[in-house]
Amino acid sequence: MPRIRIDHTKCTGCRHCEAACSLNHVANTVNPRRSRIRVMRDGNRYYPVIAGPFVDAACTSKQYIVIGDQTYDMCALCRASCPQKPYFIEAETGIPLKCDFCGIPPSPSCVRWCNTGALELVED
Amino acid sequence: MNGWIGRCLRVNLTEGKHQIEKLDTDLLEMYLGGRGLGVKVFTDEVDPNIDPLSPENKLIFCSGPLVGTGAITGASCNVITKSSLSGGLACAKMRGHFGAELKYAGFDMVIIEGQSEAPVILSIIDDRVKLVPGLEYWGRSTAETEELFKKNLDDSWMARETYLVSIGTAGEKLLPLANLVNDRFLSVGGAGIGAVMGSKNLKAIAVKGQHSLQVADGSRFVQVINTLINKLNSAPLTSQSMSQWGTAFLVGLCYQKGILPRNNFRSTSQPLKNIGIEALNSAFALRGRGCFACPIACIKKADVKYSAFEGKGMVPTYLAIGSLGFNCGISDLSAIGVMSMLCGEMGLDPVATGGNFATLMELVEKKAVTPEELKIDISFGNADSMIEAIRLISTKKGYAKRLGQGGMAISESFNMPEIFMGVKGLSLAPFDPRAIQGMGLHFATCNYGPHHLYGYTFIDELLNVHENLDPLETQGKASLVKRYQDTSAVVDSLGLCNWPLMGLKFNNYVPMVNSCLGTNYKADDLLSIGERIWNMERIYNMKAGFNMDHDTLPERFFKEPVPDGPAEGQISHVKEMLPEYYQLRGWSEQGEPVLGLEE
Repeated sequence: MPRIRIDHTKCTGCRHCEAACSLNHVANTVNPRRSRIRVMRDGNRYYPVIAGPFVDAACTSKQYIVIGDQTYDMCALCRASCPQKPYFIEAETGIPLKCDFCGIPPSPSCVRWCNTGALELVED
Repeated sequence: MNGWIGRCLRVNLTEGKHQIEKLDTDLLEMYLGGRGLGVKVFTDEVDPNIDPLSPENKLIFCSGPLVGTGAITGASCNVITKSSLSGGLACAKMRGHFGAELKYAGFDMVIIEGQSEAPVILSIIDDRVKLVPGLEYWGRSTAETEELFKKNLDDSWMARETYLVSIGTAGEKLLPLANLVNDRFLSVGGAGIGAVMGSKNLKAIAVKGQHSLQVADGSRFVQVINTLINKLNSAPLTSQSMSQWGTAFLVGLCYQKGILPRNNFRSTSQPLKNIGIEALNSAFALRGRGCFACPIACIKKADVKYSAFEGKGMVPTYLAIGSLGFNCGISDLSAIGVMSMLCGEMGLDPVATGGNFATLMELVEKKAVTPEELKIDISFGNADSMIEAIRLISTKKGYAKRLGQGGMAISESFNMPEIFMGVKGLSLAPFDPRAIQGMGLHFATCNYGPHHLYGYTFIDELLNVHENLDPLETQGKASLVKRYQDTSAVVDSLGLCNWPLMGLKFNNYVPMVNSCLGTNYKADDLLSIGERIWNMERIYNMKAGFNMDHDTLPERFFKEPVPDGPAEGQISHVKEMLPEYYQLRGWSEQGEPVLGLEE
């Protein structure tokens, strides 16, 4: 099954993937807030997060992850859109968004435009 | 509307009011946006003879039509005002994500007028425009301002998507060297703009929004960008040199050709250890950082390790390494990294600051002033005292007042104006015009002072990307300069970056522009828009007091040949090239644009 592998050490935070995603899903429109991939930032690190399934309840406790010298907000790493997180939700209709491997096969549109290799299509 | 939003925000700081205006479609098609539209609006509204630091001066932030659409390198926002350093027009280019976010916030352009009584921050968040009291931010560095503002938003999700442009302490103190900083990147070519923003008591502008941008032909646009990305990847300069080391890769190349100036443009080739790519790799841990939609990502983040300072910052660009480093006799890359980082924190322009200190160092060397009088031991090659001086000048207290007035003011105050290496009051970017003649002509004639940002002639003269030209030759350079000046004017107006020209031809941009905006421009149409913008800027500068006598270089480049290195014995031939340049532009022999050219 093909998957998108994310290598956050290669991400430059240029958000070209966000533009690619929204152009592919909403005709002739660019808006990162309607995109199914968002680039998060914590300190000096950037990491793309791809929209996963919607959950209708938020977690009861907020978690932080420490990797190396960096503390990450678990909510930002999480792929779900939930009532606590105003991401991956179509602004006008309130419908939650989920990645659908769009674009011209074999590459989804975000992978096509990612020039640094942070997003890669792998078969496993 | 495709590409453009078509709205402009006008904020009057004196009255604390704002209004939203519609932009005229004809104007947009004639001047595109960004630099072109900003300069058009500015020259129509502002008298050329006002004092740059008075409330009558305006500050215009303008994003181009391709910014935020996903067009490759469509990220830049231009800032136009009357410069406090030169007295003519100033146009800085802000990179990063601010320009795109301004479009998503629903505006192509923000015009700041008047002067606030107390410090304020302009916040444009989710269609709510308001002036936030800024007293608690005043006196803070740019990074602290950004952090505190985001903390005060009290919403971590909103803070993630908010982008700021701010001035550091240098701008607050109205230092002529002050620049703007957004997303921790210094804007390019912005010397003197920070002081204008400081004089308005505006500490920062914050933007965030949810507006959508329309593209005329989405599927064609996507195809065009796929091809452009492939083209960039197959060109060695954009796919390897720029992506891996940023503009700093030019250092070694310029050194080999004798273009890299040293000790205030008096030498080019004293033995230097530790320059070039290997030294960069060992001095910094590199990590790419991209502006919006940029496949090249030339800006690098780094951990700086230096005895006097340790921390995280940006790897110095070619401009910072040349101006703050080698031109001041300093070749320790870590020290240059610290200086460039301090400039970013305080909002100082690296080129102007470097020129300022190089002038001061030559004054000390020529014994016009002693280190005891300056109360700081400033001399060529003394990195620690220069770091100290950079920290001091933005405080502007006591003796530090005299250190940061800009190269021209300092050299004049000691009656040695001939040692200031600059044109129109601005310091030269670190390219020795004797060893690269086309760049020399560009430096002499540029409307915004001697900065390569407004005419990338070295792409052909030094890197030989499209044409194989000899940098020392003068034949055909006038038309090369004109072509690159017009190209830069268009590229800036569209909101794109000039660096992809290292791998792409200008013609490659045209399908991207047309499929995005739904227009039918040809390459020549776009270039004639560029020429129109250039003439408009020239006419405004002439009204502000510049004339053909200012189209020259410092006397040193005509009288003193290069003493050593690969370009030994060369002088600048700008005076021979000028008549041809005026003729190509269709100007009179006195360099005045004939009436009607700007229309």
